[in-house]
Amino acid sequence: MRRLLEIRGEEFPIWLAHTGKGYVVHARGRAVHCSLTRSHGKGAFLLELDGRSIPLRLTVSKTATFIHLYGRAYEIGRTDPADQQVEGGTGTGQDKILAPMPGVVVSVAAGPGDRVGKGQTILVIESMKLETTLSAPRDGVVAEVPFAPGEGFGLKDILARLAPEEE
Amino acid sequence: MRQIQSRIDVTAGEYRENYVAMTRRLKEFHAHQHAARYERPRRDLDRLARQNKLSVRERLELLLDPGTPFLEFSTLAACRAYDRTVPGAGVVTGIGIVQGREVAIHANDASVKGGAWYPLTVKKIVRLLDIAIENRLPVVHICDSAGGFLPLQHGVFPDRYLGGRVFRNQTILSRMNVPQLAIVGGHCTAGGAYVPALSDYNIIIEGSGAIFLGGPPLVKAATGEEVGVQELGGAIMHTSVSGTGDYRAASETHAFALAREVVSQWKQPQKAVIATAPIEEPFYDPRELYGIIPKDRKTQFDMREVIARIVDGSRFHEYQPDYGTSLVCGFAHIWGFKVGILANNGVLFNDSSLKAAHFIQLCNQNRTPLVFFQNITGFMVGRQYEERGITKDGAKMLMAQGGSAVPKFTVIANASYGAGNYGMCGRAWDGRTLFMWPQAEIGVMGAEQAANTMADVKIRQLQREGKELTDAEIAAIRDPVLERYKRDVEAYTSTSEIWDDGILDPVDTRNALAISISAALNAPIGDPHYGVFRM
Amino acid sequence: MPIHKLLVANRGEIAARIVRTARARGLAVAVLRHRNELTGSAHLIADEVVEVEGPTPVAAYLDIDQIVAAARRVCADAVHPGYGFLAENAAFVRALDAAGIMFVGPTEDVIDLMGDKVRARAFVAERGFPVAPAAIEDDDPTNFVERARVVGFPLLIKPSAGGGGKGMRVVREDASLEAEIETARREGKRYFGDGRLFAERYIERPRHIEVQVVGDGRGNVVHCWERECSIQRRFQKIIEETPSPALNPEQRAEICKTAAGIARAVNYRGAGTVEFIYAPDGAFYFLEMNTRLQVEHPVTEMVTGIDLVAEQLRIAAGGGLSHAQAEIRQTGHAIELRICAEDASADFRPAIGEVLLMEEPQGPGVRVDSGILEGSKVTTDFDPMLAKLIVHGPDRAAAIARARAAVQDYVILGVTTNTGYLDAILAHPRFLAGDVSTGFLAEEAPVLTAPGDDVTDILLAAAALSDVRLVRAVDEIPEMHRLMGAWRN
Repeated sequence: MRRLLEIRGEEFPIWLAHTGKGYVVHARGRAVHCSLTRSHGKGAFLLELDGRSIPLRLTVSKTATFIHLYGRAYEIGRTDPADQQVEGGTGTGQDKILAPMPGVVVSVAAGPGDRVGKGQTILVIESMKLETTLSAPRDGVVAEVPFAPGEGFGLKDILARLAPEEE
Repeated sequence: MRQIQSRIDVTAGEYRENYVAMTRRLKEFHAHQHAARYERPRRDLDRLARQNKLSVRERLELLLDPGTPFLEFSTLAACRAYDRTVPGAGVVTGIGIVQGREVAIHANDASVKGGAWYPLTVKKIVRLLDIAIENRLPVVHICDSAGGFLPLQHGVFPDRYLGGRVFRNQTILSRMNVPQLAIVGGHCTAGGAYVPALSDYNIIIEGSGAIFLGGPPLVKAATGEEVGVQELGGAIMHTSVSGTGDYRAASETHAFALAREVVSQWKQPQKAVIATAPIEEPFYDPRELYGIIPKDRKTQFDMREVIARIVDGSRFHEYQPDYGTSLVCGFAHIWGFKVGILANNGVLFNDSSLKAAHFIQLCNQNRTPLVFFQNITGFMVGRQYEERGITKDGAKMLMAQGGSAVPKFTVIANASYGAGNYGMCGRAWDGRTLFMWPQAEIGVMGAEQAANTMADVKIRQLQREGKELTDAEIAAIRDPVLERYKRDVEAYTSTSEIWDDGILDPVDTRNALAISISAALNAPIGDPHYGVFRM
Repeated sequence: MPIHKLLVANRGEIAARIVRTARARGLAVAVLRHRNELTGSAHLIADEVVEVEGPTPVAAYLDIDQIVAAARRVCADAVHPGYGFLAENAAFVRALDAAGIMFVGPTEDVIDLMGDKVRARAFVAERGFPVAPAAIEDDDPTNFVERARVVGFPLLIKPSAGGGGKGMRVVREDASLEAEIETARREGKRYFGDGRLFAERYIERPRHIEVQVVGDGRGNVVHCWERECSIQRRFQKIIEETPSPALNPEQRAEICKTAAGIARAVNYRGAGTVEFIYAPDGAFYFLEMNTRLQVEHPVTEMVTGIDLVAEQLRIAAGGGLSHAQAEIRQTGHAIELRICAEDASADFRPAIGEVLLMEEPQGPGVRVDSGILEGSKVTTDFDPMLAKLIVHGPDRAAAIARARAAVQDYVILGVTTNTGYLDAILAHPRFLAGDVSTGFLAEEAPVLTAPGDDVTDILLAAAALSDVRLVRAVDEIPEMHRLMGAWRN
C-alpha cells in the first residue's frame, strides 16, 4: 500500500489505509482522510478532503497520474516500490555468459574491446536444433569471446566474458 | 444483549490508588519492552550498519501493510534468563497483515548476539510455528541468524521441542498447504539453512544474504577448500545455479517489496464462520481497568467490570447469573466476533464447575470461541466439598474444556493458582493464545501459602529433631523461600520462560484477543469430542 | 481563376484552421500526412489525405518536389502553405508556378525581398519609413565593427538571414563587441548557412507591435489594425492581443498607416504582417515583414470580423479586397494564448507525451484552433505549439477575465503544457496594466513560474485514490485490521 509519488521533482513516499469510515492517505507526516468519486464529465472526479469538496479532472498512465486542478495541470509520477528491478550485482556471475547447454557457435556479434549495452546480442549459438541468442547481462566491455563461429562447446563453458566493472 | 451496568466509582480513593499502582507497573513494563526492542550495545548497532542491514523493526514495517496492527508475542521472552543479555530471546514473532492476509512472522534480531539461537529463542520460534499450525497461518520467516548458540547447544539442539522442531513444524505447515516465505537477510548457516530451504518460497538479499550448510571457515577446516561467502552461498549462486533460492533482491527494500508481491499470490483463506455483529467500541473506557484491578492481588474484584471494558458496547448476555456465581459465564462480542466468556469471581465450587462444563458445551454447540479470564486461586478444598465431589465436578469442567473444538483464548488477569489454572484453560490446554497482565501471578499455589508450606516442612523436621525455633529463626527459614517463590510466580518469570504469549497492558487485551480470534478462524472448527464425564 | 481544390501544405492547428475556411467556401481540401504522424484534427475534416515521405516528418513537409507532386496527384489547383515550412520560400512558389498550381500568398519577388532582412530594411528606409539606426555588414564588411560601434550601445546583432530570434545577441559594452560578433556569425552559419550580420540600436524595454495588411496585388492595400506581441519567451510570442494597450488612437493610426504604406510600396498581394519595434517614447521602427499568415492572425479576425484565410483564398483566385479601409473597425478586444507542450518552470523545455485526456474550453467569445486530438502523441518532431486559445471580449479587462477562465478550463492531461504559466501571465499586475515589453517574461520569471498554492495534499490524495492497484490492496485488508490501524502491543 505504499507508493513513491513525485511532483515537480520532489518525492513523496505515501501509503494508503482505510479506517472503515474511509480512506486515509499518509503523506508528509500527516494522515489525510479523503475519498474520490466520479462526477459528470470526462475524467471528472470529486475529491473530498479535509471537509472540502474539490472538483478535478484526472487520468492515469502506467507511471504517472495527471490531474487538472483549479485550472492547472499537474503530473504526479508514481512508482510502486515493488516494481524496482533487480539491479545487476557485482558478483562474478554477472560478468560471464555460460553455455546453457552444449552446442555450436553460429555467429559472434561483439568481440573483445566492444562496448555493449545490457541486452545487446553478443553471440548466437545452436543447440538441440534451436538457435539461441545470448546477450550482455549488463552494460560493459567485452573482454573475451573464446569460441569462433562453427566451434563447439560444452555445458557451462564460458562463451563470453565482460571486463570487470570499474568502481 | 444488555449493557453491563458498571458500579465503579472513578472518584473513589481505592480506584485512584489502584490506578496509580497499575500505571506505575505499566510504566515499568513499557520501559522493559522498549529496552528489549531498541536498546543494544553500540557495537552491535554499528555492525548492522556496516553490513548494510536494516534493523528487525524496520524490516517488519517494510513487510507489513501500513496502517495495520501487529500482535507481537512474548516481547519480554528471556527477560530473566542469560543475565538479561538476550532481549526478546533475539527473535521477534507475531501476527500481522501482509497484502491483506494474516500471516505469522518469525524474524531474527541480528542485533542480539548476531541472531544466535538460544534455548528460549528456539522455544519462541517453535511456539510461533505451533500457532501457525493450529491456526493455519501462512508464515514469513525473516532469516538473519548466526546459528545455534554453541555454549548452550544442549538446550538448543537435542530434545523433541528444540531446534529440530522448527524444521519439523515447517514440513507440517507445507504438508497442510499453508505457505511459507523466507527472506534471507543475513547468513543462514547449518540448521538455519533449512528455514529458507523448507519454505515454499524464498528471497535472498544480494550482498547480505547467504545460505550454506557450512560457512567458509568450516569448509576450510573440513576439506581445505577456500571459498568466499558469495560463491559458496550468495544470492546469485543460489538463484541461478543451485536453485536453493527463488528470488534475488537488490536491496532490503526490494526484498520486502518482492515479499509482499509473493504473499499477494497466495490464496485468500476461506475462514471459519462464526457469529459476528457490527463492530462497536466498549461503552466503558478500557483505561478504567487500571483502577479496577486491585493493587493488592488478594483483593477480590468483579470480573463483569473487566468484561465491560473489553467487549463490544460493554454488552454481555450472562448465562445462569444466579447459579455458581463464583464463575461468570456469558456471551459477548469482541471486535464483532461472538465469544463465550468464562471469568472467575472467586474459587471454583461444585456448582461453578458444573456451570462451566455446561457452558463450554453450549459454546461448542454454537461454534462460539471461548475466552477465559483467570483470577483463580483454585477449586474449593475441605471435607464438605470433597464429599460433594468437588474433584469429580472439576474433572467434568476439565473434560469439557479439553474436549472442546472451538478455539480457546486465555487471559491471566490476576491469579492463576493450582488446578484452577487447568480448568480455566492454562498453558497446557492448547489455547490458541495466552496472555498475562503485568501484576498477575502463576504457580501451583499463592506465594505465602507455598512459602508457609515449604517452611512448615523444614520447621517440623527441625522440631522432630527436638529443636525449639524462635520467631526470628522461623522467619529466617521462611523469608528466603517466600522471596524466591514470589519472584518465581511473577508474570515476568512466566513471560521470560514463554509460559505465556506475552504480558499485555490491560487496555491492549481487546485488540490482542480480536487478532487472535480472527487468526484462529483460518483453521476450520471441527466437532467436539468429549471423553467420559465422571457423573 | 477560381480555385476548386486546395492542398494545405502544413499540419497541426493551422492546417485544420485553413481546411475549415476552405471547406466553408465550397472548396475540396487535401492535407498531408507523414507516416510517423498520428491523426491530427486536420485529417479528420479534410476531404483527402496525401501521404508524404521523408526521413522525418519535418523533412517531408519541407520537401518542395514531393509537395508539388502531391498537389498534382490530388489535382489541387492551389496550395496554401500556412506558416512556417514552405510559407516564405520563393523556390516553392516558382516550383508551383512551373507546375501551373496557384500559391496562396504573395509573389516570389516580394518573398525574396522581405526574406532578406538587410535588403528589406534598405528598401523600407529608402522609401522614408522609419528604421532603427544600424550598421549593415554587406555595405562594407571591412569596417563593420567600427560602424557598429558608431551606432552606439546597447546594440542588437542579428544574422542577416535570420528570423525567429535565432542568433540574436544584445551587446551592452564595447569590450565584448568583437567576441559577440564572432559568436553571432557562427550561430548564423549554423542556423541559416549564412554568417552575414547586421547590427542595430537595441531599444530598451521595447514592445513588439505588428500590423496586419491585406493587398490585392493591384495596388490596393488595407490594414486590419495592429497586434501587440510583446509577451515573448526566447524571442517567441506566446500571448498576442489587439488592440495594443500601448497605443492611443493617433499612434495607432500612424503605425497602421505606415504598415499599409510599406505593403503598398511592394504592391503586396495577399495577407501579410509588418512588424515594428515600438520604443517606450512612442518611436517605432520597421523590423521585418512576414509575407504569410501569422500564427496570431485570429485576434485580428476576432476584432474585425474578417476571415483572413477567406481573404487569402479570394485574392489568390483573383478577387479584390472585400472591405474598404473605412469599413474595417476594431470591435472589442481579443487575446490569443499559444498552448505549447513545454515546461515553463524548466526553461521552456519541450515536453513530450500522449494526450490522454483533453477538453477544450467553450463559451461565448472563446475560439480554439487546435491541432491535437485525444490520443495524439506529442513528440519533438514538430513545433511544441499544440493549439491556440483565442478569446474576445467587449474590452481588455473582460477579454482577460474570459481568457483566464478559458485557459483554466482547458484540460490537456498526459503532456506538460504551459496553460498554468499563461494563466499566471494573465494574472500578473503588469500585464493587467498593459505595462509590458518583450523582456517582460524574463524579468518576471520568478513570479510567473512560482509554484501556486500548495495543493500537494490534494494531488497526493487524488493520485493515491485513483491508483486502482493501491486501493484494491487496501480493500483486501480485513475490516477489523483496517479499523485497528497500526496498533502495536
